[in-house]
Amino acid sequence: MESKSSDENCTNPNSELHPSKLMMASHFLRALSRIQQTTTDSFAGRSRKIRRAAYASMAYSVGTKRAWSCALLRKLRSRSRLRFPNPRRAKYAALPGGPRAARPQQREMDQAEVLRELVPGGTSMDDCRLLEEAADYIRCLGTQVRLMQAVMDSVSF
Amino acid sequence: MEAKENNQFGLEKSHGDHISSHSSGAAGFVTPLTSSPILSASMVEAFFAPSLWNHHTSSCPMNFGESNIQTATSGINCVPIGKPVAMSNRGMLPSPPPGEFPHSLPHFPVDSGFIERAARLSCFGGSSFRGISLFGPSQSMAPPSDASKDVNGARVLKAELNVVSLPVEHGTIKGITTNSKRDRSISHVGTSNNESREGNFCEDGQERHTGSADAAGNSSSSDLGANKRRKATEEMEKEKDQVLRALQSSTETTKNNTETKHKSYKHSGKNAKDNSEAAKEGYVHVRAQRGQATNSHSLAERVRREKISERMKYLQELVPGCSKVTGKAVMLDEIINYVQSLQRQVEFLSMKLAAVNPQLDFSIEGPLAKNLLHSHGGSSSAAGFSQEMIYPQVYSSQQGLAHAGISSMLNPSDAFRRPMNTEIPMTSGYKETSLQMHNSWNEQLVMQMAYGANPPLNSQVINRKPDGFTI
Repeated sequence: MESKSSDENCTNPNSELHPSKLMMASHFLRALSRIQQTTTDSFAGRSRKIRRAAYASMAYSVGTKRAWSCALLRKLRSRSRLRFPNPRRAKYAALPGGPRAARPQQREMDQAEVLRELVPGGTSMDDCRLLEEAADYIRCLGTQVRLMQAVMDSVSF
Repeated sequence: MEAKENNQFGLEKSHGDHISSHSSGAAGFVTPLTSSPILSASMVEAFFAPSLWNHHTSSCPMNFGESNIQTATSGINCVPIGKPVAMSNRGMLPSPPPGEFPHSLPHFPVDSGFIERAARLSCFGGSSFRGISLFGPSQSMAPPSDASKDVNGARVLKAELNVVSLPVEHGTIKGITTNSKRDRSISHVGTSNNESREGNFCEDGQERHTGSADAAGNSSSSDLGANKRRKATEEMEKEKDQVLRALQSSTETTKNNTETKHKSYKHSGKNAKDNSEAAKEGYVHVRAQRGQATNSHSLAERVRREKISERMKYLQELVPGCSKVTGKAVMLDEIINYVQSLQRQVEFLSMKLAAVNPQLDFSIEGPLAKNLLHSHGGSSSAAGFSQEMIYPQVYSSQQGLAHAGISSMLNPSDAFRRPMNTEIPMTSGYKETSLQMHNSWNEQLVMQMAYGANPPLNSQVINRKPDGFTI
């Protein structure tokens, strides 16, 4: 088995291994192991924690270079400080892609507005910057998704 | 500050040597000025003050004719003489260009600080000259001495701009007929010096860029002047850069007004535009193309639109399947869908991970991370991998059992995993399937727990069971 994995190491090109990717992976895995060790969580609670860990590792790997990562980190920290999750505050601190109630459709007519809501920290950006941040966010999200899929693959075999 | 200017200069250099090389046309006549200063400081200031003042006030789109009148009557004798002075840029201006200034150049006393100021203000000549050129022969001219050098530079600038080069013979030297105006303008200079100067600098910077555009395009007939100007304007580069970043829109209006007036000139609009785009840095120097609106607002709009289209192109590459999509709205829709699908995928995967991994430990991080990133598609390595991961927590005797348990648990999940591994954007129906999977996983978990309860040695697994199987 070890030989198999080493074969993979030799044959695969190292070009995909960006240092930020490694950071993302290690952070995520550490968080995962931490989550696994707490056995008192329900399934839903654990999945929520894993999701938060995913976004956290994304934000940490990028650091403060990007507006969206700063906004994400801020959200994460404010969420962690919430002892009693206030439904009103939780709305502002909601992680992207979180459980959302059915939104009134007329509020999302404008595409740029929709994008602003999707990208963390996008509400206070002009269109130009929004597109830039969206591109970086998409790239990072893709990496994170691939990482999680890899974890899934390696675990669930 | 100097360093910044230098950096800016270096950045500009990186854009193209031709850009930096012929920095600003205005600088072209700085060296002649400094080398043989013949203007008094007051003359220079008076000379330029009206133009400064006018430029300051012309930040908003205004009647160009008015500004021209003002600049013209300010007694600037910087009417373009005719053909650009090829030799005037470097070093002395030994003799007036042939057939241009018939009069001799009176010499003015040189102040200590005059050279500096002359150098700084000389660039204004270009901008003011431009305004004047439109007026042609009706312009009044200040004493030729102060104009000679400036004219050269201005001429060069004008040529660069393909502005009308009017014969200077027509210009009557009214001396300083506008003395009153100058006085007023001098006072104005004091107050609005920085702004206007910066504005003018910007103009000159733009001129420089347009000159570079010309040089690059080799399109204008004034290439000669452009070439000469290039060498001479390097000294002014630093100062120019300093103010280049300042008001740009104010200068753009006048400059673009000039262009619209002189559409007859074979200015390679396309070329200039390309070069101006190439020269863009923090502050964008934009050139209005032939036949385009030259409002300051529309220019800023155009800059903004170009930036946005640039970023949309980049996003097109990022989002899969969007290379054929044209149009901002459709593209935005695609982007939104993609982001939403990615976020849903993260959520889904986190649920999966929560369900799948109660038995597994992720203590091996380094090699795990590397392997993950290398082999997220390869199942063969995954097999070996899972064994690695299971090994530290499961007794060797139980290893096969755990393996079997996990694999049995995950057999149904394989079917679910395959659609996930593809990059198909998930639709809203996804969530329902995930819920179904969740249920099935729960069953599998129960199965696993039961399985794990049998071998008494799998204590870690047993400890993780939430409902507390007794050993």
